[in-house]
Amino acid sequence: MSVVTLSELLGAAVRDPSGSVRGRVREIAIAPQDHATRVAYLIVRTSNGERVVRADAVKSCSPSVRASSDAAAWDTHTPSDGDLLLKRDLLDQQIIDVHGRKVVRVNDVELDATPLNSHLILNVTSVDVGARGAIRRLAKGLVPSFTLRALLEKIPPRVIPWQFVDLLETDPARRVKLKIAYEGLSKLHPADIADIVEDLPPAEREAVFETIDEEVAAEALEEIDPKVRAAIVESLDSDRAADIVEEMDPDAAADLLEDLSEKQSGEILEQMEPEGREEVAHLLEFGERTAAGRMTTEYIAVPETAVVDDAIEALKHFEGSREALATIYLTGDGQKLVGAVTLVKIAISSPAAQLSDLSEPYIACAPDTPDDEVAALFDKYNLITLAVADEHGRLAGIITADDVITMLRHRR
Amino acid sequence: MTFSWKSWKTRLLMFAAVVGPGLIAGEGGNDAGGIWTYSVAGARFGYSLLWAMIPATAALIVVQEMAARMGAVTGKGLSDLIREEFGFRVTFFLMAALVATNFGNVMAEFAGVASSLALFDLPRQIVVPLAAAAVWTLVVRGTYDSVEKIFLISSIFFVCYIFAGILAHPDWKAAAFATVTQPETLTVRNYGHVYVYTLIALVGTTIAPWMQFYLQASIVEKGVTVRQYRASRWDVIIGALFAAVIAWFIIVACAATLHLTGQTEIRDAADAAMALKPLAGEFAYLLFAAGLFNASLFAATVLPISTAYAVCEGLGFESGLDKKFHEAPVFYWLYTLLIVLGAGVLLLPNIPLVQIMFFSQVVNGVMLPFVLIFMLLLVNDRELMGTHVNSRGFNIIAWITVASMMGLTVAMLLTQR
Repeated sequence: MSVVTLSELLGAAVRDPSGSVRGRVREIAIAPQDHATRVAYLIVRTSNGERVVRADAVKSCSPSVRASSDAAAWDTHTPSDGDLLLKRDLLDQQIIDVHGRKVVRVNDVELDATPLNSHLILNVTSVDVGARGAIRRLAKGLVPSFTLRALLEKIPPRVIPWQFVDLLETDPARRVKLKIAYEGLSKLHPADIADIVEDLPPAEREAVFETIDEEVAAEALEEIDPKVRAAIVESLDSDRAADIVEEMDPDAAADLLEDLSEKQSGEILEQMEPEGREEVAHLLEFGERTAAGRMTTEYIAVPETAVVDDAIEALKHFEGSREALATIYLTGDGQKLVGAVTLVKIAISSPAAQLSDLSEPYIACAPDTPDDEVAALFDKYNLITLAVADEHGRLAGIITADDVITMLRHRR
Repeated sequence: MTFSWKSWKTRLLMFAAVVGPGLIAGEGGNDAGGIWTYSVAGARFGYSLLWAMIPATAALIVVQEMAARMGAVTGKGLSDLIREEFGFRVTFFLMAALVATNFGNVMAEFAGVASSLALFDLPRQIVVPLAAAAVWTLVVRGTYDSVEKIFLISSIFFVCYIFAGILAHPDWKAAAFATVTQPETLTVRNYGHVYVYTLIALVGTTIAPWMQFYLQASIVEKGVTVRQYRASRWDVIIGALFAAVIAWFIIVACAATLHLTGQTEIRDAADAAMALKPLAGEFAYLLFAAGLFNASLFAATVLPISTAYAVCEGLGFESGLDKKFHEAPVFYWLYTLLIVLGAGVLLLPNIPLVQIMFFSQVVNGVMLPFVLIFMLLLVNDRELMGTHVNSRGFNIIAWITVASMMGLTVAMLLTQR
C-alpha cells in the first residue's frame, strides 16, 4: 500500500513488458457505474495516438508506469461521457468540501496503490487542497523528484477524504451518469448549504438546486441572499421551481416570488398545488415591508374552550416551521383572536387545564403595520411571535422573531 | 415602426440594473499614470497625437467587451478561468506577475495623490498615510453596493477635466480635425522617436491589465447573466467612450496651453496643473488638480482589492470581504500589504515620483499582451462559451490589438535605453 498523486502520474512514462517506453500518461479515468473510487483505465498518449491501458494491466506505477500487456493490445481511446476524468474533471476545479462546509479548489488528487495478484489497484482516497499539492505541481520537473518528496514531507497536508467531496457538474445527463447526487451537501444545515451555494458560479448553483431534495432545497433557499435566490429560481424550470417553492414557508415563498418577474412568479404559482398556491397568492397581495408581508400563515390556533391536551395534539400535527411553535393562539367566534399561551406554560401545566386560564395578555398588530413598528413591538414586549389581526380582530397570521432579525440585518 | 415607450422603459431599467462595472473599469484607465501620459502627450505634441484616441478606444471596447461577456456567460472571474483551463503553474506565474505589476500601479496612484495634494501645500508625509487608511477602511468596512456607488460618483467627477479643457480655450476646429486625420508624415518625422514612444504609452495606459480582471470579477459579483448581457454591453461601451472623451480633453487642455506657449517638457501631471494656472486661469488649475486627486484615489481603491480577489481566486485561497481576517488570511494580508507598502514607499525621502509613474506604465504594457492572449484563448473556447464565442470579425480586431500591443511593447522596450 502506498500513496501516489495524480500530478506524479500525469506525464509519467508508460513501459511495455519489455521495459521500453511506449507513451505517456495523459488522463486517469474512473467509471463510477462500476466502482465509485477505483481507477478503471489510463489514457496514454503514444506515437499511435491515444490508447487505453486498463487498470488490471498496470503492474506498478512509480516512478514510471509498467504495463503487463503489449502496446499493440492497447485499445484506441474513444471518449465517454460517463467516465470521470481526474485531470479534466477534478484537477484545478472547484469542489464542495462537505466536511469543512465550503467550496475549495483542487490542487492535487491522492490515490492509494495496492498490489493484488499481478496487478495494481488504484483507488482515489482524497483530494489535496493545500500547499503540499500546490508546491508539488509548481516544482514538478524543476526539482529532482526525491528532493521534492523529502521537501513535501515537511509541509503539513491539507486533504479532504474522498467521501467528503461533492463534485460540481453542470450537465444534468452527465450528473446522472457520474452518480453525483450531492448527498453530503444535503445532510448539512440549510444555512451552511446556503453559504456554500452563494460561493458558487450561477451554473453550478443551478446544478445543486436541480439535484438536491426539494425539502432541503426549500430550506436552503430561505437562507440565501434574496438577490442570489431570485437568480437561482429564475434559472430553474417552473415545474421544479414550483416543487421547491411549495416546500417553503408561505411567507418566505411570497418574499421570493415578489422578487421575480410577474410572468415567472405567475408560472410558478400555476404549477403549484391549489392549497399552497392560495396561501402564497394571498400573502403576495400585501406590501412586502408591512406586517402582512412578513407574516406566515402557518401557525397554531385552537378554540378558546380547548384544554392543554388539545394544544399538544395540535402541536403534533403542525407542519410549519419550528419558530412558529413558541406560542399557541386561542380563537373565539369567527376566528377572532382572544388569547395566547406560551409553549412553556403548556409544558408545565396538567393535560386537563383550560387554555383560557393560562392565557396571557397578547400583543397583535394590524396587517398594514410597517416594518419599523413591528420591530419596535418585538423589542418593547420581548416577543418571540407577534400575531397579525385584521380589522375585525381575526387572526390573519403571525410574525416570528427570526424574520425580524433577518429584516433588521438586511436593512443596514 | 411605432415608438414604444414601454419597451424603452424596460430597456432603461435593465440598463440601470447592470450599469457600473463597465463605467468604473473604463475610468480606471484614466488613473494617475494615465493622466500623466495624456498631459505629456498634449504638452509635447499638441493636437498631433489625438488621432490615436480612436483606434485606442476601439481596442479598449473590444477587450473590455470580451471580459464582460466571459463574466456573464461563465459566472467566473478571469483568474478562475485561467486556473481551470491552463492549470496551476501557469496561473501561479501569471498571478505573481500581476501582483508585481499592480504593486507598481498602486505606488503610482499614491504618487498621484501625493503630487496633487502637494499643489495645495499639503505635505506628503501626512496625506499619503491618511489616503491609505481611508482606502483600506472604505473597502473593508463598506458593502459591495455602497462601494460601487462611491465609485460611480467618483467616476462622474472625472468631468472636471472636460471643464478644464473648455477653460483652456482650445482651437476646437483644429482639435476635431486632428482627431479624425493622421498628422502629416513630416511633422511626425520632426518629432522623431519620442513621438512613437509617447504613442505607445498612450495606448498602453488606456488598456491596463488589471482593468480586465476587475471588470470580469465585478460583472460576476453583480450577478449579470447572459440574458442581461445586452444591457451590460452598453455599460462597457459607454464606459470606454466616456474614458476616451476625458482623455481627449486632458490632451486638448495641455495642447492648447502648454504646447502653444512652448512649455513642452513637464515632469508630472501636477506640473501640468501648475503650468495651466497662468494660462487657463485659477479655476482650470483647481479642476485639473482636483481631477488628478480624484483619479488617483479612485484607482488606489479599486486596484489593491481587485488584485487580492484575482490572486486568491486563481490560487484557491479563501477570499471575500464577508470573511473574517482569520478565515481568509492570505486575502487580507495581500490586500493590506499592497496598500501599506505601496503607500509606504512614498514616505521614503527622495523618492522619484515621476520615475515610479513611468515604470508602472511600462510594466503594464509588458503584461498586457499576455493577459490578452489568455483572454482570447478562453473567449474562443466553445466548451466554455457555447454560442457566445467571438465572431470572426471580432477575433480579427482583437488579434490585431494583441499584435499591435505586442509590437508596440517590444518597440517600447527597445527604445527604452
